[in-house]
Amino acid sequence: MRGLFRWSSKWWPGVIPLAMLWVAAVWTTTVPLETDLTARTTDALKDNVLDKTTISIAGRDVTFSAEAFSEQGRSSALASVEAVPGVRLVNDQTALVPEAKPFVWTAQREVGKVTLSGSAPLPVVRNKLLEAARTTVTGIEIADQMKLSRGAPPRFEAAAALLVGQIGKLKTGKVTISDMTVNLTGMARELGGREAIAAALKNLPDGYSVANEIHAPPYIFEVNKDPVAATLTLTGYVPDNAVHAEIVAAAGRKFFGEKVVDKLKASLGAPANFASVVTRALGSLSRLSTGTLVVSDREVNLSGDALYDAAGNQIRTDLPKDLPQGWQAKTEISVKPAAAQVDATVCQQLFTDLLAKGSVRFETGRATLDADSIGLLDRLTETALRCPTATIEIVGHTDSDGDDSFNQTLSERRAQAVVDYLVKAGMPADRFKPMGYGSAQPVAANDTDEGKAKNRRIDFIVRQ
Amino acid sequence: MIYLATFLWGWLVGSLLLGFATGWIAVVHRGQGVTKKTMRWLSVLVAALIVAALTRIVPGRVGYWLDLGLVMFAIYLIGCAIGSWLRELVVSRQTAAS
Repeated sequence: MRGLFRWSSKWWPGVIPLAMLWVAAVWTTTVPLETDLTARTTDALKDNVLDKTTISIAGRDVTFSAEAFSEQGRSSALASVEAVPGVRLVNDQTALVPEAKPFVWTAQREVGKVTLSGSAPLPVVRNKLLEAARTTVTGIEIADQMKLSRGAPPRFEAAAALLVGQIGKLKTGKVTISDMTVNLTGMARELGGREAIAAALKNLPDGYSVANEIHAPPYIFEVNKDPVAATLTLTGYVPDNAVHAEIVAAAGRKFFGEKVVDKLKASLGAPANFASVVTRALGSLSRLSTGTLVVSDREVNLSGDALYDAAGNQIRTDLPKDLPQGWQAKTEISVKPAAAQVDATVCQQLFTDLLAKGSVRFETGRATLDADSIGLLDRLTETALRCPTATIEIVGHTDSDGDDSFNQTLSERRAQAVVDYLVKAGMPADRFKPMGYGSAQPVAANDTDEGKAKNRRIDFIVRQ
Repeated sequence: MIYLATFLWGWLVGSLLLGFATGWIAVVHRGQGVTKKTMRWLSVLVAALIVAALTRIVPGRVGYWLDLGLVMFAIYLIGCAIGSWLRELVVSRQTAAS
């Protein structure tokens, strides 16, 4: 041991080449060591969810800067860096991602662009939402202006993914999640878009409240009555096949002289009470000689020519009154110029022609005029006005069903109901003579439904 | 430490060989050695450097260079000790034979 101490005093000459060796080692190993440590540190962090991560290494010291999404994530990332072999010191510059309060996320739809902005809770969620937007609106620019924040409401990802799925149904608009409140504004791409979005929103996770302010293009239903071509053209939309059939059937009953041209298409988005309003408005249109009915959302527009003054007034007053709450009617009704007067024979011929095309109908077993017959009644009234000097017998007939005396009374009351209608049009009551024959004068055999229907009738007989 | 040894093994082996050669020569070297006083000062200097390295007060690259220098120096001393000890064995065997 003493020898070792003695010899050590002579070990100094080697220190000079050692110093040179050290300088050479410093020169050649510093940068490779730093590169190697950077790679190892980056690798150690690959399973940690972080934002804005930067790693800078000087010698064996790591300056680690990142934003973590939880305190646990932050300390775990720091521990991962500290555990990298070769690292001497870790300069901790980590922080938590800022908390957003309220936590707001927005998807904005413009015609050629979709912008996602606001806060997203995690990078993976942000990427999923972007991917979902790309899938929903293909071929349109997707702009990502989202930043990462803490404080997302529960089940945010599911809610936001569902809403991203709805932006394809919008033409323009904005979808916002603010904490647990979802707001939608804008214009739907198609008819029924608003309803489709509302249906999808039912699948939002529990706890989210929705304010749906999406508008849709107007729901338009249009009927044009052309007396020259004798056609009734139905265009626009109906909610479904059942309503479609119901409306076409109503048109067939109310318009006895016109061919129904059906160009209707089915679409979601009809306002409430659509079928009943359209049926009612068709009744008013049936009273016009020429006219157009347009139902746009909850607005009924009826324009055209009534057959006589009183009919015009009745249409103007009755249609708005009969519509359900929330509906509006706009009428532009003028009155067709009165037709030339004719003598009693021509008048009779006109009555016969009209009653050959359609018959005045009543509610079953009662003397109340069926609403579907009002168009025919207006034409009969117009004809009666053309022969103002003639006296007209209004004759009621029934089929053979039921008691004879009941049928007799019913036929008389029905004739009277028609007279009342004519008097309401402004003609003197003494021009009309209501009569009833019960089932005594059949025009067809009463053994078939068809025959019975022919026998249930009102005849107009013109007397001088 | 294992990481450093793996990464710098060539330089450490170089230091060991250099120390071994120096220690081998030191046994028969006739020149002047370092005085006790200088040796003490040098020991104090090295101790201070070791303290600085262990407390990690020297930051960044300089800290790494200090660690590298001290490790190379330590291995150099080990090499010296082995070299001198082996040479002493050889020299004393030759003296006994003659």
